[in-house]
Amino acid sequence: MATSTPEKPAPAPKTNRIGLSVLDYRGGKTTLCAGCGHNAISERIIDAMYEMGVSPERVIKPSGIGCSSKSPAYFMGRSHSFNAVHGRMPSVATGAVLANRHLIALGVSGDGDTASIGVGQFIHLMRRNLPIIYIIEDNGVYGLTKGQFSATADMGSTLKTGVINDLPPIDTCAMAITLGATFVGRSFSGDKKQLHAMMKAAIAHKGTVMLDVVSPCVTFNDHEGSTKSYKYMKDHEEPLQEVSFVPAFEDIAIDYDPGTTIEVTMHDGSRLRLRKLEEEYDPTKRIQAITRLNEAHEKGEVLTGVFYVNSKTPTFVDLLNMTEEPLATLPESVVRPGREVLEQVMEELR
Amino acid sequence: MKQTFTIAIGGAAGQGVATPGDIFAKIFSRRGLHLNAYNAYQSIIRGGHTFLTIRTGPEKVTNMGDRLDLLIPLNQDAMNRHLGLLTNGAACIFNAETIKPGAAAEGVALCPLPVSKLADITRNKVAQNTLAVGAGLSMMGIGFQAVQEVFTEQFKKKGEAVVSENVGIARAGYDYATANFKPFARPLPMTGNRYAVLSGNTAMAMGGAAAGVKFYCAYPMSPSTGVLHWMAAHARKAGIMVRQVEDEIGVVNMAIGAAHAGVRSMCATSGGGFALMSEGLGMSAMMETPVVVIDCQRAGPSTGVPTKTEQGDLWQMLGAAFGDYPRVLAAPLDIGDCFKIIPEIFNIADRFQCPGLVLCDLLLSEGRLSVDPKDLDFAPVIDRGELITTVTAASGTHDNGGYKRYKITESGISPRAIPGVPGYTHTAATDEHEEDGVLISDEFTNPTKRRAMMEKRMRKVAGIEAVVSPPALVGPRNAEITLIGWGSTKGVIEEACEILSDQGISANQLQIRWLVPLHGEAILDILKDARHTIIVENNYSGQFARYLRSETSYVPNGYIRKYDGEPFMPHHIVEAVKEQLGGTTRLSVPAHEILV
Ligand SMILES: Cc1ncc(C[n+]2csc(CCOP(=O)(O)OP(=O)(O)O)c2C)c(N)n1
Ligand code: SF4
Ligand SMILES: [Mg+2]
Repeated sequence: MATSTPEKPAPAPKTNRIGLSVLDYRGGKTTLCAGCGHNAISERIIDAMYEMGVSPERVIKPSGIGCSSKSPAYFMGRSHSFNAVHGRMPSVATGAVLANRHLIALGVSGDGDTASIGVGQFIHLMRRNLPIIYIIEDNGVYGLTKGQFSATADMGSTLKTGVINDLPPIDTCAMAITLGATFVGRSFSGDKKQLHAMMKAAIAHKGTVMLDVVSPCVTFNDHEGSTKSYKYMKDHEEPLQEVSFVPAFEDIAIDYDPGTTIEVTMHDGSRLRLRKLEEEYDPTKRIQAITRLNEAHEKGEVLTGVFYVNSKTPTFVDLLNMTEEPLATLPESVVRPGREVLEQVMEELR
Repeated sequence: MKQTFTIAIGGAAGQGVATPGDIFAKIFSRRGLHLNAYNAYQSIIRGGHTFLTIRTGPEKVTNMGDRLDLLIPLNQDAMNRHLGLLTNGAACIFNAETIKPGAAAEGVALCPLPVSKLADITRNKVAQNTLAVGAGLSMMGIGFQAVQEVFTEQFKKKGEAVVSENVGIARAGYDYATANFKPFARPLPMTGNRYAVLSGNTAMAMGGAAAGVKFYCAYPMSPSTGVLHWMAAHARKAGIMVRQVEDEIGVVNMAIGAAHAGVRSMCATSGGGFALMSEGLGMSAMMETPVVVIDCQRAGPSTGVPTKTEQGDLWQMLGAAFGDYPRVLAAPLDIGDCFKIIPEIFNIADRFQCPGLVLCDLLLSEGRLSVDPKDLDFAPVIDRGELITTVTAASGTHDNGGYKRYKITESGISPRAIPGVPGYTHTAATDEHEEDGVLISDEFTNPTKRRAMMEKRMRKVAGIEAVVSPPALVGPRNAEITLIGWGSTKGVIEEACEILSDQGISANQLQIRWLVPLHGEAILDILKDARHTIIVENNYSGQFARYLRSETSYVPNGYIRKYDGEPFMPHHIVEAVKEQLGGTTRLSVPAHEILV
C-alpha cells in the first residue's frame, strides 16, 4: 500500500490579538528615496500598531506636506489618510478628532512642516493636549523642495553646496514640553529598538504624544558637515534611558530594580520601563526635562529617549466633555437643536 | 409713500447709546411694528462718535431711510453734527444743562430737558438718556404701561432697586414731555403682529444651528464676531462644538478637519481673515470636503475701516484659492435671508462636495431687522448628499481597496465616506489624485488622469447651476429704469424704486443673490428688454459690474457706487438715477450727508 505523505500545511500567518497579520498594517509601495529615514519610521509604526493590536480602521493619518508627510500612504493602507496643506495638519487633526473622538490620530509631519511654516499651529496643538501621536520626521532640511535648511538645522551645519546654517535650531521637544504636551521624546530612525518601544508607549498614551525622530535625508543632508546624517547620529546620539514597553495585555511580571529603572504606568495599564542611564533623571519632572534638553544643546549631544511623561492632565476631548457618540455620526433627529430651543431663542429676541 | 418714523441717537462710545436703542426697538416690535436699525460707529472702545438710527413703521422697513424724525444727541458733538439733518416736523430732545442747540430748520421742535431737576444725576450717570427715551415715547403717543414693561425687563437682571429707579426716571421724562412738548403729528400705530429683532450675525448663526451645524470655530474679527458670540452663548443649549482658534488659518483648516470627519461645520470672518483662509479653501475643493465660510465684508483694503460697510470682497471670493474648482457663492439679501441662506448653501455644498461661501457685509451682520418668526423654518430639509457614515446593507462593504472615494461619475459627485468606516478607508490628499485617492505624482504625473479628475470635479458646476434658481425681475416689466444690485442693497433699491415711481419714473429691480452660479444667460434674457440699466453697488470699482461683464459681456447704461463706508440711503439712488436720466453722467457717487 502506498503511503501518502500528507502535505505540510502552510504555516498560518502570525496574527496579533485582533486576528490581523502584519500585512494588514502595510501600505502602498514607498516612493521615497532608498535609505531615507522616513521609510524606517514607517516600518516602526507598522510593527508597533500590529503588536499593539490597533484596529486599522479606527486610525486616521493626518499629515502636512513634504516627503515625510507623504509617508502615511506607505503604511497602514487600511487606515484613512489625510494629506492636508503645508504646516496645517494640527488644526485639521483637531477638527477631525473633535468631530469623532473614536478616531485614533497618528499625525506625520516634517521639520519644515512643523518648525517653519507650521510652527504657530504646532504651538497651539501642543497646548491642547489633543489625543494624537504627532511625529516629526526630522532631517533638518526641506527634502521635497530639494534640501534647503529648515528651522531644526543646527547652527554651523552645512549643506552639500557649502552653505552654512547661521541660526540656532528650534528644539521641538523642549517647546512641546513647555507648552503642555504630555508625552515627549526624541529618537533616531536608525535606533530600531528604542523607536519601537517608544512608538508602542505612544499608542498606549492618552493625550498629545510628540516624538521628534531624527530621520536622515540621504539625498540632501547625509554628508560630512551635516548634523542630521546617519554618521553624525551614530557618533553623537546620547540615550537618556534604555526604553522598553510592556503592553497591558501581556500580563508578564518582570522584576526590576527601582534604583536603576523607572516604571511609568500608562492609561491602559501598560508599563513604560526606562532603565536609567543617567541616575538623576526623572521623566515626570517637567522643569528638569527642559533643563536637561538645554544642557544637551550646550554640550552638543543629541539626547534621545523619553523626556517627559504626564498621565494626569485630561485630554482635550475630555476637557471639552465631548459626547461619547461622535458628532460626525449623530442621527438627524438630534443633529440640530429642537424647534423649542430655537423658538425660545426667538422669544428672547422679541 | 409708506409711513415710517426714524429715531437717531448720537454720542460718544461708552455714553450708553445702545440701551436706549434696545428699549426703542423692543417697544416698536412689541407694538407689532417693523424696524430696521443701523449703528454707525468707530473702532474704539470709548470716545469717538456713534450714531444709531432706528426706523420703524407698520409696513416692512428695509433700510435706514432718508429722514430723521427724532434726534437725541447725548453730547454737544452729536448736536453739532446732526441737528442740521432735521427738517419740518422733526424734534430734538437734549440735555438743556450740558448741550446748546444750534440753529434748526423751520418747523423743527427743540425740546430741552432740565435733567438735574427731573432726576438725581449724581446717582445715575445715564439719567439724561433715560429721560430722553421717556420723553420721546410720550411724544410718539405710546402709553406709559408699555414703557414701564420694557424698562422693567431691560433692568430686571440688575435687581428691583435698579428697575424702579429707571422706571421712575423714564416716568419723569415722559410726564415732562407730556406737559411741555408738542406730540408728533402722527402717533405710532399698533398692529397685532409680534416680531423678533435679529442682527444678520444672529440670523446666520441660528440658520447654522437649524441646518445642523455641529462644529463652529472662529477668530474674532469685526463685523463677523457676532456669529461667534451667538455660537458661544448657545453652544450648550444648541449642542454645537464651538472653538476660538489661534488664527484664521487654523480656523478654516479645523473646520475642514471636522467636516472631513463628517459633521456640518462653519466659520465666519471678514476680508482679512478670509485672505488667510484662501489656501485652506483650496484644500476643501481638492478633497471635495464641504465647508461653509462666511465673509462679513468691511471697508478694505487691509485693516481698512473695521466698523464700516462695503461690498468690496467680491473678487476676493471669486478668486479665493488658486486653480479652478467648483464653489458656490451667495450674498444674503436681508437679515431674514441671512438665516435662510445657511441651510440652503449647506445642502448644496454637501450635495456637490465643495466649499460654500456666504458673502455678507457689515450692514446686515450688525444691522438689526424685525423678522416674523413664522418666516423662519427651524427644521429645514437637511440633504447631506452621498455620504457614507456607517456600513449599511445599502452601502455594502468593499473589499479593502475597492472603494473609490473620487470615482469618476457623470455628475462629478463621488460617494463620500467619512474616516473610520470599515471597507471605506482611503487617502484624501491635496495633491491631485486618482479615483482611489492615491496621489498621481506617486507614479508619474499622468496627464490623462489629471485631466479626467479635473473634468470630474468641474462637471459639478452644471449640477449646481441646475439646482439654484436664476434671479428674477421685480416691478413693472417695461419700466423706464432697471436697477441692478446684489446682496444687502436689496431693501434700499426697492425703496428707491418706489420713490421713483411715486415721482413718475417707473423703475424695476434685478437683485442678485447667487453670485456663483450666476446664471448669466437668464440675466441677459431679463436685461435684453430693459430700457435703461444702472448697477448699484457699495464699492469703488464696480466689482459686480465687472464680473457681470466678464461672464456675459453685458454693459449697463450707468453705475451708482458708494465707498465711503456708509450704506446707501434711498435718496442717494433716486437722485443719481435722475442725474443719469438727465444725461450728465454715467457714474454717480452719492455723498453721505450724515457725518459719522
Ligand atoms: C504654502 C506652501 N509653501 C511652500 C510649499 C513647498 N514645500 C513643499 S514641502 C516643503 C518643505 C518640506 O519640508 P519638511 O516638512 O521638512 O519635509 P521633508 O520633505 O524634509 O520630509 C515645502 C517648502 C508648499 N507646499 N506650500
Ligand atoms: S529627498 Fe530626502 S527626505 Fe525626501 S525621500 Fe529622499 S531622502 Fe527622504
Ligand atoms: Mg525635513
